[in-house]
Amino acid sequence: MKSTGFFGGFGGVYVPETLMPALEELEEAFLQAKEDSVFLAKYNDLLHNYAGRPTPLYRAANLSQRWGANIWLKREDLLHGGAHKTNNALGQALLARAMGKTRLIAETGAGQHGVAAAMSGALLGIKTEVYMGEVDMLRQQPNVLRMRLLGAEVHPVTTGGRTLKEAINEALRDWVSSVRTTHYMLGTAAGPHPFPAMVKFFQQIIGCEAREQFSQRCACLPDYVLACIGGGSNAVGIFSGFFNDPQVKLIGVEPAGKGLETEHHGAVLQKGSPGCLHGMKSLLLQDGDGQVLETYSIAAGLDYPSVGPEHAYLQSTGQASYVAATDSEAIGAYVELSRSEGIIPALESAHALAYAKRLSSCAGHGKHILINLSGRGDKDLQQVIDNVQPL
Amino acid sequence: MSNRYSNRFAQLEKQGRKAFIPFTMLGWPNRKSCLATVATMIDSGVSALELGMAFSDPVADGPVIQRAASETIASGFTVADAFDLLKEIRSIDQDIPIGLLVYYNMVLRYGITDFFTQAHNCGVDGILIADLPPEAASETYPAARAAAVESIFIVSPLTLPDRLDTIAKYAGGFLYAVSRLGTTGVEERYDRELEALISRVKATSTLPVCVGFGISTAKQAQQMFALGADGAITGSKIVDLVRNTPEHLLTTCLQEYLTTMVRCTYMTSPAAQA
Ligand SMILES: Cc1ncc(COP(=O)(O)O)c(C=O)c1O
Repeated sequence: MKSTGFFGGFGGVYVPETLMPALEELEEAFLQAKEDSVFLAKYNDLLHNYAGRPTPLYRAANLSQRWGANIWLKREDLLHGGAHKTNNALGQALLARAMGKTRLIAETGAGQHGVAAAMSGALLGIKTEVYMGEVDMLRQQPNVLRMRLLGAEVHPVTTGGRTLKEAINEALRDWVSSVRTTHYMLGTAAGPHPFPAMVKFFQQIIGCEAREQFSQRCACLPDYVLACIGGGSNAVGIFSGFFNDPQVKLIGVEPAGKGLETEHHGAVLQKGSPGCLHGMKSLLLQDGDGQVLETYSIAAGLDYPSVGPEHAYLQSTGQASYVAATDSEAIGAYVELSRSEGIIPALESAHALAYAKRLSSCAGHGKHILINLSGRGDKDLQQVIDNVQPL
Repeated sequence: MSNRYSNRFAQLEKQGRKAFIPFTMLGWPNRKSCLATVATMIDSGVSALELGMAFSDPVADGPVIQRAASETIASGFTVADAFDLLKEIRSIDQDIPIGLLVYYNMVLRYGITDFFTQAHNCGVDGILIADLPPEAASETYPAARAAAVESIFIVSPLTLPDRLDTIAKYAGGFLYAVSRLGTTGVEERYDRELEALISRVKATSTLPVCVGFGISTAKQAQQMFALGADGAITGSKIVDLVRNTPEHLLTTCLQEYLTTMVRCTYMTSPAAQA
């Protein structure tokens, strides 16, 4: 490979030999595509005319009034498909086509990446199959139906905790067998090189737009930029717009589930230790033997025991910091945003909102908090109504 | 380096034979039964052993070995238990080469140097880390050398000469050629480029080449020998046998299977085909 894709001590390429040639091919194709004006023009055209970019930057006046700080939402929930995942899926689907691949596979947790993959496959006429844990298929059923409507095949994954980690395992196993014809469209900025760098490349449009929109509106920069952390793609997407602005505090919000003091969370950056899973070195929730632990979050998209390597690195250098919000805080924010602004956020994104609420009370009046509203919450409605909050 | 692999392959060559290497999971279905299975392997005259440590997320393994791994972890069998069992296995046979199959996170968690040292102390001759490609081999190679443990690598039908050169720099013991693109499992589905792979490997390295994945019968093993392989590796078939054979029949049944496989390594004897 041209590079080994390390962010400090995190990242790299740790996969079975059979996958190495495919990763070499993918790196080569990606390095070419990102300098290729024809490819980029096609990608930008799709982002603009198909997916609806740029997404708005919205000042949530009612929430700002309630919480005290100025709350700004980068509206990735309004992107076609309903989440930031479309930015990455379209990019990778174009790459797959350029590489002559005839089949796409993807993993999905919340189902948003699965939907984005299915949309891209439908658009470009590439057969698409999605691996999804059985637990997630149940709790994110609307997205399962959308994927099927879009023509994708959804494979239930029945091993282990039957969530995102196992879906990635199965997608990797499929890819080992099908690598000659198939592109594995990984949905987050994690996994073996070149995925973390590539997914970041396709997601950095969020931060790029947000910085420009914000500085035009306010003639300054936000004090804080917040994003939820699953694998880390929406976060690295928005953070990357502010990497050269040291005065802007970058904060990633992990799922605290039932509480960081319990075993039922997914707070990898705060509770994990260095390890190697899914082709990358990163932080990992694991036991003393290196067995990976089951995680828990009400948000399927955050329910993952590792994290993209760049976040482990940003935490180690102090360029970004990481906090956590619990299930009940996230549900509170889900309802509060719905009722105060008429916007239903994804439960994933609601974690970032929940922390913004906490931060508002201590950051002080007049501070600007920019939140990546990574997705919309229709998919979570049934879950919230059934389990938690009778409306 | 330990000489057990080179001694054994030299001995086989002198006898005009090929290698048969069975795999099982350390501690599965429990310590006692695993030890009995391995003892039966040794008694049956297998050429070397390939033993796996259970990992929670074995992405290179198909359903049969995955299930054995998750049962082993659920039973509470730890890495320390696995090392302890290895030591006992070594005490049964001083000469048989023992290969350990692991995933990288377990090595990292234990500490790379400590893991290789402990493996050596327990009589391990070679370690294959399923998710450590040669690009990252410099992370473990010094520890492997210092502990006199061979680094065993996988080559696949997609591994082209430039990668083979890199692999050959680190590889010891034997090269593990996978018969197909895919995970471990019993289904027979050999890659169209397997023969070309074996020739490529032979042109690059003097190490023996053993083929694994999807080999469960003597006929299949001999097919591999005919393609130029120096040995055949069988894993899922054995795990299947252990799972599906009533306990009182297991030793006999295993013995019968392993003996057939060992007999087929005598290429010169047509009777072995039986
Ligand atoms: C709406 C939404 N936000 C966030 C995430 C988490 O992923 P990432 O951390 O890669 O942005 C997901 C994943 O499914 C999602 O659907």
